[in-house]
Amino acid sequence: MGAHPQPHLKQQLERRQPVWISLYYVAFYVVMTGLFALCLYVLMQTVDPYTPDYQDQLQSPGVTLRPDVYGEKGLEIVYNVSDNRTWADLTHILHTFLAGYSPAAQEDSINCTSDQYFFQERFLAPNHTKFSCKFTADMLQNCSGLADPDFGFEEGKPCFIIKINRIVKFLPSNGSAPRVDCAFLDQPQELGQPLQVAYYPPNGTFSLHYFPYYGKKAQPHYSNPLVAAKLLNIPRNAQVAIVCKVMAEHVTFDNPHDPYEGKVEFKLKIEK
Amino acid sequence: MRQKRSEIYSVELSGTKDIVRTDQGDDKEKYRGLKNNCLERKKKNQEEDFQKELQLDDHKLNNRELEKKYGTNIIMGLSSTRAAELLARDGPNSLTPPKQTPEIVKFLKQMVGGFSILLWVGAFLCWIAYGIQYSSDKSASLNNVYLGSVLVLVVILTGVFAYYQEAKSTNIMSSFNKMIPQQALVIRDSEKKTIPAEQLVVGDIVEVKGGDQIPADIRVLSSQGCRVDNSSLTGESEPQPRSSEFTHENPLETKNICFYSTTCLEASTSPIGTVTGMVINTGDRTIIGHIASLASGVGNEKTPIAIEIEHFVHIVAGVAVSIGILFFIIAVSMKYRVLDSLIFLIGIIVANVPEGLLGTVTVTLSLTAKRMAKKNCLVKNLEAVETLGSTSIICSDKTGTLTQNRMTVAHLWFDNQIFVADTSEDHSNQVFDQSSSTWASLSKIITLCNRAEFKPGQENVPIMKKAVIGDASETALLKFSEVLLGDVMEIRKRNRKVVEIPFNSTNKFQLSIHETDDPHDKRFLMVMKGAPERILEKCSTIMINGEEHPLDKSTAKTFHTAYMELGGLGERVLGFCHLYLPADEFPETYSFDIDAMNFPTSNLCFVGLLSMIDPPRSTVPDAVTKCRSAGIKVIMVTGDHPITAKAIAKSVGIISANSETVEDIAHRLNIPVEQVNQRDAKAAIVTGMELKDMSLEQLDEILANYQEIVFARTSPQQKLIIVEGCQRQDAVVAVTGDGVNDSPALKKADIGIAMGIAGSDAAKNAADMVLLDDNFASIVTGVEEGRLIFDNLKKTIAYTLTKNIAELCPFLIYIIAGLPLPIGTITILFIDLGTDIIPSIALAYEKAESDIMNRKPRHKKKDRLVNKPLAVYSYLHIGLMQALGAFLVYFTVYAQEGFLPHTLINLRVEWENDNVNDLEDHYGQEWTRYQREYLEWTGYTAFFVGILVQQIADLIIRKTRRNSIFQQGLFRNKVIWVGIASQIIIGLILSYGLGSVTALNFTMLRAQYWFVAVPHAILIWVYDEVRKLFIRLYPGSWWDKNMYY
Repeated sequence: MGAHPQPHLKQQLERRQPVWISLYYVAFYVVMTGLFALCLYVLMQTVDPYTPDYQDQLQSPGVTLRPDVYGEKGLEIVYNVSDNRTWADLTHILHTFLAGYSPAAQEDSINCTSDQYFFQERFLAPNHTKFSCKFTADMLQNCSGLADPDFGFEEGKPCFIIKINRIVKFLPSNGSAPRVDCAFLDQPQELGQPLQVAYYPPNGTFSLHYFPYYGKKAQPHYSNPLVAAKLLNIPRNAQVAIVCKVMAEHVTFDNPHDPYEGKVEFKLKIEK
Repeated sequence: MRQKRSEIYSVELSGTKDIVRTDQGDDKEKYRGLKNNCLERKKKNQEEDFQKELQLDDHKLNNRELEKKYGTNIIMGLSSTRAAELLARDGPNSLTPPKQTPEIVKFLKQMVGGFSILLWVGAFLCWIAYGIQYSSDKSASLNNVYLGSVLVLVVILTGVFAYYQEAKSTNIMSSFNKMIPQQALVIRDSEKKTIPAEQLVVGDIVEVKGGDQIPADIRVLSSQGCRVDNSSLTGESEPQPRSSEFTHENPLETKNICFYSTTCLEASTSPIGTVTGMVINTGDRTIIGHIASLASGVGNEKTPIAIEIEHFVHIVAGVAVSIGILFFIIAVSMKYRVLDSLIFLIGIIVANVPEGLLGTVTVTLSLTAKRMAKKNCLVKNLEAVETLGSTSIICSDKTGTLTQNRMTVAHLWFDNQIFVADTSEDHSNQVFDQSSSTWASLSKIITLCNRAEFKPGQENVPIMKKAVIGDASETALLKFSEVLLGDVMEIRKRNRKVVEIPFNSTNKFQLSIHETDDPHDKRFLMVMKGAPERILEKCSTIMINGEEHPLDKSTAKTFHTAYMELGGLGERVLGFCHLYLPADEFPETYSFDIDAMNFPTSNLCFVGLLSMIDPPRSTVPDAVTKCRSAGIKVIMVTGDHPITAKAIAKSVGIISANSETVEDIAHRLNIPVEQVNQRDAKAAIVTGMELKDMSLEQLDEILANYQEIVFARTSPQQKLIIVEGCQRQDAVVAVTGDGVNDSPALKKADIGIAMGIAGSDAAKNAADMVLLDDNFASIVTGVEEGRLIFDNLKKTIAYTLTKNIAELCPFLIYIIAGLPLPIGTITILFIDLGTDIIPSIALAYEKAESDIMNRKPRHKKKDRLVNKPLAVYSYLHIGLMQALGAFLVYFTVYAQEGFLPHTLINLRVEWENDNVNDLEDHYGQEWTRYQREYLEWTGYTAFFVGILVQQIADLIIRKTRRNSIFQQGLFRNKVIWVGIASQIIIGLILSYGLGSVTALNFTMLRAQYWFVAVPHAILIWVYDEVRKLFIRLYPGSWWDKNMYY
């Protein structure tokens, strides 16, 4: 090795090699990062800002319940009518949830009275947006928390608020308003009578003028329509399973894999 | 019984190899050292035993002493009761079959070797994770149990596969183990009896006829024309005569001992050769038994490819474990639950381990093994397929491997001239001048003074392949004359034989008297052949150009010069003379009497000399040259005489035409050997005697300093020493051999190559490879295939490793950036064991990029299968590009469904929360848990397709390492396209066929997502073309050093 005629030069070259390769790596990673950023940029550019390209998974909307308290498996609501600490949390959840439906929060939305779909081809609302219909808490009447801040929990006839998930440009039915229908999941034998429910708004319908939804960018002030179900004949000290389905032509609730598609199931136990 | 016998020579097929393989995978360096020491010591003991046994002195005892020593009687034999006692004491006269590794142990070893340990760990982690989950939540999902079971299934399946492959290649050999139970004719209780040879005991008196195998080591008591073929024991190709005289101190050399398993030759003389002898050693105590145990004691070294694969497994396992633990720590410190971190760890291990690779390597090797089998190289041990490729020294046996193993006429001398005869396999091209009338006389003597005959019923067999009754020289002469003169038997018929004296060792000549075929010539023709100096003594004239000249001093001198020259070529020389008996003294009715010798045997006319040699196979010189240009040193190791060995070495090119030994130089300069500068000599011829006195350092020096080496007159254990010496030079050593004596060296070598036709069973069993056509040239094929498979395995591994990064990154990003998991563990398994399998096998069919036979063999310790550039380039260049491409597909799918890339960051917790059923996306849409999960699976599928598409590009770029794809030809390797098609078809089936099976986590992917990664795939191709271009443009540059794998 030592007999090499130009050991100095060779050493120099060898010493410079790590430099070259490190520089190369820096350059390579910069270029690759840049390329990837460019790809993502192009992707963002090709994506429609108002409407998603595909809604493969969103064929039918999910349905959720408030108050949403989960047990080991799914929604499970347990409280004691005589102990207001057990339901204070539940009513608190409802109050918080409905805060978004106060007249102040809904200020930017318009009043809609039609029972038809509220199609908007053009952006007529301010700031190049589309109009959203108002849904205020008072539409839930007895379950609005205004007249009865305890939402009927105290008397054992609790209110549950059912919300239908937003899907852009989704039309739930062909003309008749979607309606919530709650029932015992497995009719308890000893009760012998079906579940009695008071729905608010009346009939438990979501008015069609809340559909279609045009997406967050077009309808920044949009609020999901709600239906409140006041359960009137819940037996005491027994756990009952209740299912609330949304009845509409284009809402399905029979997907075996998805328990929240078009319906919401929950367990309820009122202690005394 | 047959079953038992068949195992006689099973000198450890793979037993020892398996023992060494036990600690593959787990790094118990200390243990291994210990084990090697043990083996070493064991071996030494055996060698000492062997030496000791050779000091047997039965050959020096006379018959009386022998009778006393063994308590027997030469006439009456042993009594049956005594024989039974001895049999009970010494055990049967058979070689103990080697211990076989139980099948179940072999099977279990496959289950824990290689990556299996990592996968077992992964599986157990899965089950532990489930256990923890279950203890806190009875309804925990069974996903982890399934995953664990799948991992175990993968381990078991690959283990079963590897076991099956190994079993299959071992079974090839079982066909060789067919041996017929031997019988022996023994004198017991004064009666001749035929008993199975297994029941022989020491002291038995046995009779062996020509053509039989010697049933045990016997001391010859009386013999009639008996010759034994000791070639399998000593490597001497000539039959050795046996008699009762004590002729040599060395029991291997003395004439009065015959060895177990050698053959007593069928002689053409009558009475046929028989030998009566006393059994002096049986079973494992025979010389053969000792050699066999020597072979089984020699530990089979790990094959180079096994070392390389182990090295590679260590690298990958190291990467997997260190990244796994690193991210486990990161995950824990990022406040992930330990359980979740554990599951990440499993994901990282599964992503990092190329589950399918070891199976692929096995298939690749067995494909090559099949290809080699077609070219007459039968590979017993799959891993040995590559070993030939890295071989740097071949220690070749002479007889049968380099030579044709039959005596053949090589030179003639008449009319004061040496003529060269064609020694090629078919003798077709005899070009020497046959016009001289001396030749006519000579050919007549050759034809007539010969007792060998063709066996009947071989009319359609080519002359050189016909079976002959007679000894090697006579056979050679018979075939020689048959080729040149036509039907010899017809000529002999025309020249009716009147009387003959067969060859014997005291006369050293053979003589016969014939009538001539000329009806007008009533004289008798006496023809004689024999040792040249004896023949010359009997002559007073010499025939030159058909005329008789008086034999004077000067002609005698030319004779001696020719004799010395031919002898110096290592050839056996015979002299020929004749005499026409005067018709007046010997009328037609004269009765010749060989006992009274009533005819003259002097004043004959000398006609010519003829020399014979066991000539090299015609393909060998070319093969040796090829080995040379491939940087492989060919060393000849033979039991034969140095002169013969040197002659053959010169003629096949092991000693090249212009190189000299120290002795040659001394002879040329006419100075003593000691004065010659050792450095001037390129070649060396070392005899066993010299080797005996050498220290290991001296041997190393010879092996290192001489390019061309011939070892002659070596013993089995010396062969072993030579092989070990070569291995000390860090060489990968191939040893060829056919005899029992070769088996220890075959076993010791990195690759033992046995001859399929001439090879003894012991040699075949000890070898890793069998040359079915006994042709040294087939080795060159093996070298070529071995080198190709090494290159192609590099490609396969590079191809397989690349996607590991693409599989690993998702987990890392998932942990750090909280994206929904881009690819699931099951999906990774579908890539590793599904889409990637056939393409990686397809790379085995790739043709060589350049002439692989013109480069040096790889250095065992420097040229690794998986080197740094390979790992770095696969992981950090192509792997990274692939990961980015796959992520792009993933992001595209999510974005087009509503989750733009920036909304995904840190979404993981909410995304995976079963209780959030209205998760908002970029557009304000709300998603239930199941809807998100389905999208996640679509993401898996998208990521899978992204990797798949880019693996197609990866496959194409891996076709070459240096050349452009276009130089190599895109379509030359059709199997690559089968691989690509299989990849796409499996992908389509998984996505569209099994998309509805939720357990597999595949969904039907929109068709356009298959094309998202195509630009990246093209980028990979272009990038690699640029890499190769710079490597070709700037060899030796930093680019070449860092980018060429």
